[in-house]
Amino acid sequence: MQIQEMELVRLLRRKDEKGFEYLYTNYAGALYGVVSRIVIDRDIADELLQDAFLKIYNKIDSFDASKGKLFTWMLNLTRNLAIDKLRSKEMSQRRKSDNVGDSVYKLDRESTPSQEDHIGVRELLNQLDENQKQVMELVYFGGFTQAEAADELQLPLGTVKTRVRSALIYFRKTLDVR
Amino acid sequence: MNIEEYIASGILELYVLDELPATERAEVEQMCEVHKEIRLELSLIENTMGTLALHTAVMPPPALKEKIKTQISASAPKAIEMPTVAPERPFNFAVAASVSVAILASALAFYFYSQWQSTQGQLEVLIAQNQEVADNYQFVNKRLQGLESDLDILSSPDYARIAMNGTENSPQSLATVYWNSHTAEVYLKIQNLKSLSEQQQYQLWAIVDGVPVDMGVFDTSTDLLQMKSVSAAAAFAVTIEPKGGSENPSLETMQVVGTTEV
Repeated sequence: MQIQEMELVRLLRRKDEKGFEYLYTNYAGALYGVVSRIVIDRDIADELLQDAFLKIYNKIDSFDASKGKLFTWMLNLTRNLAIDKLRSKEMSQRRKSDNVGDSVYKLDRESTPSQEDHIGVRELLNQLDENQKQVMELVYFGGFTQAEAADELQLPLGTVKTRVRSALIYFRKTLDVR
Repeated sequence: MNIEEYIASGILELYVLDELPATERAEVEQMCEVHKEIRLELSLIENTMGTLALHTAVMPPPALKEKIKTQISASAPKAIEMPTVAPERPFNFAVAASVSVAILASALAFYFYSQWQSTQGQLEVLIAQNQEVADNYQFVNKRLQGLESDLDILSSPDYARIAMNGTENSPQSLATVYWNSHTAEVYLKIQNLKSLSEQQQYQLWAIVDGVPVDMGVFDTSTDLLQMKSVSAAAAFAVTIEPKGGSENPSLETMQVVGTTEV
């Protein structure tokens, strides 16, 4: 079943059950991947996925298709929830950048791939050069903003920006994104 | 800035990751309306991020689905029926006057609000620029401090300078050990060592009483590297070892060697 994004938005706004089914089947895995790489703890990841779905439902009226795609909007909303959680008091103790790398990869071993063409995060990142990899571990998979990553790696923000960009261009080619 | 430079700056990636302040967001949106290239590029970035997220999806525990479904249907707001018939009233001049005043006041308020917003926007841009300059300064300053302390070591009379020349394996290679035999501190400066594969690392050895002693592993770097300490050594040498180093040197891979006796 393939639904156009606008149709999905319409179903979600109407709180139609078909919308939920489609949303969950197609995006829950991607969103769960995002939160569980950032917070690691399974219980908190479960809680965050619930929060993300609730927020998607409660905020769907404010989604503006002229400013970007629904998937991007959902990914950011979810990522931001996870980052907020990470910054909250209860978890701030546990955030040490030197184990971000480990946590990013940890799930690869445990998780059941939800996609036939699932690639491990490690495999993906290993295709990058060392500089790009370091930045992407933090920014794309570790829940760091680019400014935080620059601070962490002691690099100028401009350098981080260009590395993120070159890494994404690489993925664009290898994953044949159009 | 032309379109290519604008795209290459990485600002669109920040936009897609929702990391831009409101003013810059608005700028991107405006650029987007004007330039087709930017629209296309944004869409490609969004699709790349989406594809990456799908490729790295992780299945949530199966029980979660029902839980979320229940939660969503519980929180769905019930539609409230609003009365639609307004009671009719005779025209009232006092009401009309007060409405006009209210409209005028709102218009003025809106005008001042938008003035304030645009000033606020300019301020945010300046703060961001200032931050970027400060970041760069701090970065350069840190680097300078590092170089200054390196220079102290390189120029200190307490440190013996031991040049390690290339062996037959690699005649072009060159590295220098700076060794303070009183404090046992050892620093390494690489002049020329070839780059290694991901699985390999260089390892420094000190020859103490004829036995090689591990001085630590390192990767090629332009910085001065602090190695393990040693208080007596007849020679220093560098070999290529599997990543993480070895207990005993693989002598056949020796790249450079130098004796401490003058």
